[in-house]
Amino acid sequence: MTDLPTALKLQAHLDGELAPDDAREVVSLLQRDTEVRALFDELKSTRRLLAANEPEISLPESREFYWSKIRRELERLDREPPVRPPQAWGILRWLRLALPACAVLVLVAVMLHRSAFAPGPGSPLFAVGDEIETPLEELNSFTFRSESARMTVVWVSDTFVN
Amino acid sequence: MSQTIQHAQADEAVLIRAAQGGDMAAFEELVARHRDKAYARAFSILRNEDDALDVTQEAWVKIWQRLKQFHGDSSFATWVTRIVINLCLDQLRKQKRLQAESIEQLDEDAGGVERLMPVVTLNPTERLERSELRRRIDEAMAKLSVEHRTALVLHEFEELEYKEVARRMGCSIGTVMSRLFYARRKLAALLAGLKREEFI
Repeated sequence: MTDLPTALKLQAHLDGELAPDDAREVVSLLQRDTEVRALFDELKSTRRLLAANEPEISLPESREFYWSKIRRELERLDREPPVRPPQAWGILRWLRLALPACAVLVLVAVMLHRSAFAPGPGSPLFAVGDEIETPLEELNSFTFRSESARMTVVWVSDTFVN
Repeated sequence: MSQTIQHAQADEAVLIRAAQGGDMAAFEELVARHRDKAYARAFSILRNEDDALDVTQEAWVKIWQRLKQFHGDSSFATWVTRIVINLCLDQLRKQKRLQAESIEQLDEDAGGVERLMPVVTLNPTERLERSELRRRIDEAMAKLSVEHRTALVLHEFEELEYKEVARRMGCSIGTVMSRLFYARRKLAALLAGLKREEFI
């Protein structure tokens, strides 16, 4: 009985998928081993038979009926709203809006905190020595520094601030 | 300038260009010309009429949506068939009927029953009408496992190389070779009128 590796080599030779060296080896084997030759012939006959006689299978529906189902599906898809972006993009978009809003809230909280500890009613929100810097305008960031409160707040936003 | 196409007589390239431009009547004609081949390929893999109909209809919808991606690198028929095959393989995976490396494969590697079969001589063309021969081949194909049949269809009918069959089936080239070998041996035995019980 032909071993499996040899049988697979025979088949690969038949299918034209064998390297030249291996192909020469198979040809030599075919010439001297009748059992190998018989197996090769069977594989070859099966291959030929299939290639020349692919089963003919026809669609079991009329042209009109078959097309009507395809057309209905195309029309249905045409009426559907555009596909929503994937969920990950939705989260990113939400974060893009939420982060600047959070930054504003933090800033307001800091200001309220500072005003709560202000010297008295009517005192200005920004005492002498307080300043606002916008060192990197292209990054939409600005810095609030209060000498009196010994505090610095940096606000970075990805949206343009006029 | 608008141009009226006589779809039934039109050249395929003309129909494709028209369909790419949104002409649904041209697309209908393309479907009519290729529907049997597409269905036959789906049925040869799935062996179920309803599944094959569903898959081919889904394929035609995808083909309409992707028509602009067709640049004529292969024939339209080949392009259509490859889309059908991909959908069939997806369907088999969803149904868990197609295993990348199945238990059956392990059995085969250890020496499947087919390897023990006596070698047969096939010469049925001498006795059978061609239609009868095709019918018998179809019946024999139906008796193969999904993995064996799919490997055979992709290699013999679609003429794909081992590497490409392996890529599409999601298995190794060695597995494809083994599946093809056992599929051919089993098919030869079935066509020669042998029954499994006669040699085991």
